[in-house]
Amino acid sequence: MSQKNITELDIKGKLCPMTFVYTKLALEKLKSGDTLNITLDYPPAVENIPENCKRQGLAKILDIKQLKDDIWSISLEKI
Amino acid sequence: MSKDSIKMELNNNQIERYSRQIVLKEIGGIGQKRLLKSKITIIGLGGLGSTTAYYLAGAGIGNLKIIDFDYVDLSNIHRQILHFTKDINKKKTESAFEKLTSLNPDCNIEKIDGKIVPKNIESIIKNSDFVIDGSDNFSTKMLINDACVKLKIPFTIAGALRYHGQIITVVPKKKTTCYRCVFGNITEEASGMSCSQAGVIGVIPGIMGSIEAFEAIKYLLDFGELLTNKILFVDLLTNQYNYINVFRDVECLTCGDNSNINLMDSGSEINDKC
Repeated sequence: MSQKNITELDIKGKLCPMTFVYTKLALEKLKSGDTLNITLDYPPAVENIPENCKRQGLAKILDIKQLKDDIWSISLEKI
Repeated sequence: MSKDSIKMELNNNQIERYSRQIVLKEIGGIGQKRLLKSKITIIGLGGLGSTTAYYLAGAGIGNLKIIDFDYVDLSNIHRQILHFTKDINKKKTESAFEKLTSLNPDCNIEKIDGKIVPKNIESIIKNSDFVIDGSDNFSTKMLINDACVKLKIPFTIAGALRYHGQIITVVPKKKTTCYRCVFGNITEEASGMSCSQAGVIGVIPGIMGSIEAFEAIKYLLDFGELLTNKILFVDLLTNQYNYINVFRDVECLTCGDNSNINLMDSGSEINDKC
């Protein structure tokens, strides 16, 4: 069985659509089944990133957490 | 195109510049890197060619070869978007080079001042991933058609006159209908008029040139549908957009089953571009 990798992506300070652009570019470098953990601070991206990943068939949404008042994390599994 | 294209990394400036393309499902970072490695030749820098060149440079085509022999004239400027009033009497290649390098420094521009003729066309287009016709005369279009079919390079040919335009894409490796299959041995005399005689509204070469640019992008990234085996006719006066199915002629002198392409028999002169 091949190793599943976990990659961290910090996009704090990025606004939409760059939040999705950086997410997409990071996912392109992963293998199917790998995990991408994103840290972000732009509230609209908490909805936009999962929605765009679903629409483009890029990744499954594993988890969305609010870490602090203005910090969130999104875990994605590359399809 | 190099298979290594996806190994290169986009820098932050490129990620920002191409972000609206990277967001698109069909392009992404992989497609963008492929565009940056691509080589396109644009023959003619008039209304069609300058529009195509503008959008291809903007899209991040890494290598554009631009060819024209002409100088900017005041009567060109209403439709030839790369040339400004200050450029009158400047070589079109020089005027285009200045605008395109300023538009996108990622884009390497090779300019060739001169006419495309049977003697030079093969060496000019031979390493191209795609060729764009921006000429306004049948002899040049036929020469481009014949040379591209001979070298098996995909290409798009468009035309614009008055309020109308038409466009076809040819993929020789897939044996799609070529320009000569449709128009045979048509000549300038038979066709009647050029832009200078018949007139042309500026937006029509802009629209057709824009479609040419996207045909190239779709081919390079292998998505969507190409305008192969059909001609799109655009009539802006009545807002009609019609597709005519066209079929490969097995007896075509260029792509027919027994063809033997001799470019010296093809036309060779670029007149004033639409």
